[in-house]
Amino acid sequence: MATTTASTNPSVSVTDPTNVIVETRNLGKIYRDFWGRKKVNALKSLDIEVRRGEIFGLLGPNGSGKSTTIKLMLGLLFPTSGRAFVFGKDATDVAKNERIGYLPEESYLYKFLNAEETLDFYGRLFDMPASVRRERTEQLIQMVGLQRARRRQLKEYSKGMTRRIGLAQALINEPEFLVLDEPTTGLDPIGTREMKDLILRLREQGKTILLCSHQLADVQDVCDRVAILHQGELKELGRVDSLLKVQDVTQIHAKGLDEKTKLEIKELIARSTGEMLRMDNPTTTMEELFLDIVRESEQRPGRRGSGA
Amino acid sequence: MRLSPDQFWTYFEWLFVHSALLYGFLLVLVLAVLGFLIGFVVALLKHGPAEGFLQVSKLIGELFVVDIPGTSIRRVGAIARLAVKEAIRKKVLVVVAVFVIAIMFAGWYLDQQAQFPARLYISFVLTFTNYMVLVLGLFLSCFSLPSDIKSKIIYTIVTKPVRPTELFLGRVLGFTAVGTLVLLLLGSMSYLFVVRGVIHEHEAIEISADGVSGKTSRQQFHSHEFVLDETGNGITNETKGHKHVVSKVGDKIVVGPSIGDLEARVPIYGMMRFTGRDGQVANDGLNVGYMSEYHKYIEGDSLCSAIWTFKNVTRDSFSEGGLTYDMTISAFRTYKGDIVTPVGGEVRFRSIDGSAVTEPFPFKVKEFQVDQRSIPFTGLKGSLNEQPADLDFFKDIAKNGEFEVVIRCQDRNQYLGMAAGDLYFRAEPQAFWWNFIKGYISIWLQMVIVICFGVMFSTFLSGPVAIIATLSVIVLGFFGFFVDDIIKNADSDVGPVASLIRIPLQSGSGTQLDLGNIPLERAIRVVDKGILICVQTLSKAIPNLNELHTADFVAYGVNLFGGLLSRHLTVCAGYFLMTGIISYFFLKTREMAA
Ligand SMILES: Nc1ncnc2c1ncn2[C@@H]1O[C@H](COP(=O)(O)OP(=O)(O)OP(=O)(O)O)[C@@H](O)[C@H]1O
Ligand SMILES: [Mg+2]
Repeated sequence: MATTTASTNPSVSVTDPTNVIVETRNLGKIYRDFWGRKKVNALKSLDIEVRRGEIFGLLGPNGSGKSTTIKLMLGLLFPTSGRAFVFGKDATDVAKNERIGYLPEESYLYKFLNAEETLDFYGRLFDMPASVRRERTEQLIQMVGLQRARRRQLKEYSKGMTRRIGLAQALINEPEFLVLDEPTTGLDPIGTREMKDLILRLREQGKTILLCSHQLADVQDVCDRVAILHQGELKELGRVDSLLKVQDVTQIHAKGLDEKTKLEIKELIARSTGEMLRMDNPTTTMEELFLDIVRESEQRPGRRGSGA
Repeated sequence: MRLSPDQFWTYFEWLFVHSALLYGFLLVLVLAVLGFLIGFVVALLKHGPAEGFLQVSKLIGELFVVDIPGTSIRRVGAIARLAVKEAIRKKVLVVVAVFVIAIMFAGWYLDQQAQFPARLYISFVLTFTNYMVLVLGLFLSCFSLPSDIKSKIIYTIVTKPVRPTELFLGRVLGFTAVGTLVLLLLGSMSYLFVVRGVIHEHEAIEISADGVSGKTSRQQFHSHEFVLDETGNGITNETKGHKHVVSKVGDKIVVGPSIGDLEARVPIYGMMRFTGRDGQVANDGLNVGYMSEYHKYIEGDSLCSAIWTFKNVTRDSFSEGGLTYDMTISAFRTYKGDIVTPVGGEVRFRSIDGSAVTEPFPFKVKEFQVDQRSIPFTGLKGSLNEQPADLDFFKDIAKNGEFEVVIRCQDRNQYLGMAAGDLYFRAEPQAFWWNFIKGYISIWLQMVIVICFGVMFSTFLSGPVAIIATLSVIVLGFFGFFVDDIIKNADSDVGPVASLIRIPLQSGSGTQLDLGNIPLERAIRVVDKGILICVQTLSKAIPNLNELHTADFVAYGVNLFGGLLSRHLTVCAGYFLMTGIISYFFLKTREMAA
């Protein structure tokens, strides 16, 4: 893997420790009940790195431990084993929060505040002076498109609007590192598209983004690298393009072919002892990969041998 | 209203002489050791001894090195503002409306014909406000943090650079601000309620033919009688706890507003000791075997005396009228004698060194009444350095404001009973409204303590459980004096270890512990003493709100001493610190997403 992990920004060196934003070492989490009895082993010895300037995706089915990983990185949970480092500091260190933005799985905000008050409140938590707060609030409200609802209490907001104000809240401090837990849930197709564009734009501004999702399309469209989790175990880690490239499969995309040409291509494939699979959208391939991993890991638990 | 001697200690007496500061330090020490041990045991189970010790040390270090210096006023302000907004948007001010309705109805139910209507009104509004505000503080503080954790809003808070210190401070300040606002509203309404309920006017009627005496009209179930002096001025008799000034304006007799019901008398109390029959110091006075534990007695026609020492009595505390003092001394007769003549006593004023002493001022006991007396400032008959002299009170007797008052009983075989609070000087009264405000400051302090404890419990308990925990602390606090009593009366052979050993030995607690091993017995005593001291110290970690309840001062028209109030303020600050530190450790070690 190490050879194929050069990030989008070739000048970023992996060996330079300041370029590793998040590092988890043998990170594990067991949820216990009040009496200390084991309930769920939500995460098992996870080792990943998130590097400066990349969009890193955590992928996995429901209950696979994505949110748990994120909460461990933010210090909302304490690890049962191993450690998580953010900006080289322990994840429980409060000072790191200055440079982090976090969008939780649902927008956990005070329902009795309106959009402006919400952003002002979170701005104060960053010790921002009033003029800066006003400016940022204005900017973010424009950016997430809540101009017309800015004075309405959040309890009146629709799901998508709540998601937007949640995102604005995560960006209030212009974070270097953005953690998004399922950023597109609750958004309509246009909203989803906008969210993805925004994520890409943020990367262009030099921010590092960690997002988790089970929306394969999201991950495929925006992520540079992904880690695939299943039942708390890391199954796959690598660049999206190399993970999706299935070595002995060739995909042909063409436009304006007539039936005859298509037939000829099929014949050509048949003649060269190959086998025609199908000609379609690469998204399905992502889905395939995902389903493969899930299916396979249900039969054989543990890290996948190939690809990783 | 009965004052206990500790209530008129000055602030510094309380802090240093009566060891409040020492107890404070002891408490900090015991709590710190206990906290460290508990923390260490928990960390030990989780991480093992070495790592556990390191974790606990790191936690403590971070409080002083990182979190206290990193605490930002703006963040605390943001959290406090939010708490206020939340309370207001969730319509907490409804309590104000409830209060208004309640006092409107109270107007019907409070006994209009009461002996002292002002007293009744004042203690009603103060007590009622007190409970309302405490309940408000309890609910505000106990539910806020748990609801943020339950709704997971806390995720977006603690992933910002917010420190545990700020979470505690912000909440406490916010709820205190809400409580203060409510208290201000309730307080001003109460003030109006009391003043409007008490103030009334009379007209002069039934004026005698010579025009110098008469009665007032009947108002609010009472009337007064009055006699005017030659200048045409006079004061009515006292009914329902007040009088009126009456004066002749032209041909008409005008009855002025009431005086004496909305006032704040300023008693100056002293410390009292007794001398026995031989004239030597005997601290306790005599016990006549029945009546009250509160009063102690001196025997008539003997050297028995009660001596008060007063400090800080200065000329400017008194008006032109002279040195005014009140006595509430009672008598205990061993024989009936002449039942019409009350038992007599005498009062002497003398300087601390005894060089200046006045002639005795005789008095007759006025049972169940306040005997209001006064002496002039100058021209007092007495002796200076054994020579007869005319004394000047503040020059010769009360040098630096310190002097003694000696009371003796004159009648052979009769006894005079008294306690420290039964003789006091009455300085110029203070404004009633200021005393009223001080009463509200007491309520405010109680509220702050409840809020601190509520917030503390809510850092590790769910809302309803935090309410129960806070209530338990308050109730336990009422019984805090039990622990003091037990420890004061306990001899060293009834401590916990000794008692444990006694169970199998079937030895009663009345006997000495006898194990036939003197060093062992001694060790047990030392350990027991230590445990008892720790328990006593820990019992101080629980606030006694009863001690902070000062409604009686306001209701009975006694100025609430500054010393007492500053003491309560200090205690409140102590609890604030204690709960803050405990909250810090709970917040710091709590997994917010678990
Ligand atoms: N507070 C908790 N207490 C006990 N178990 C928990 C807790 N939070 C999560 N779990 C369990 O841990 C496992 C992983 O949960 P997690 O929320 O990390 O999944 P996820 O990958 O984010 O799933 P989703 O896609 O549904 O959000 C699940 O089995 C879940 O039931
Ligand atoms: Mg999740």
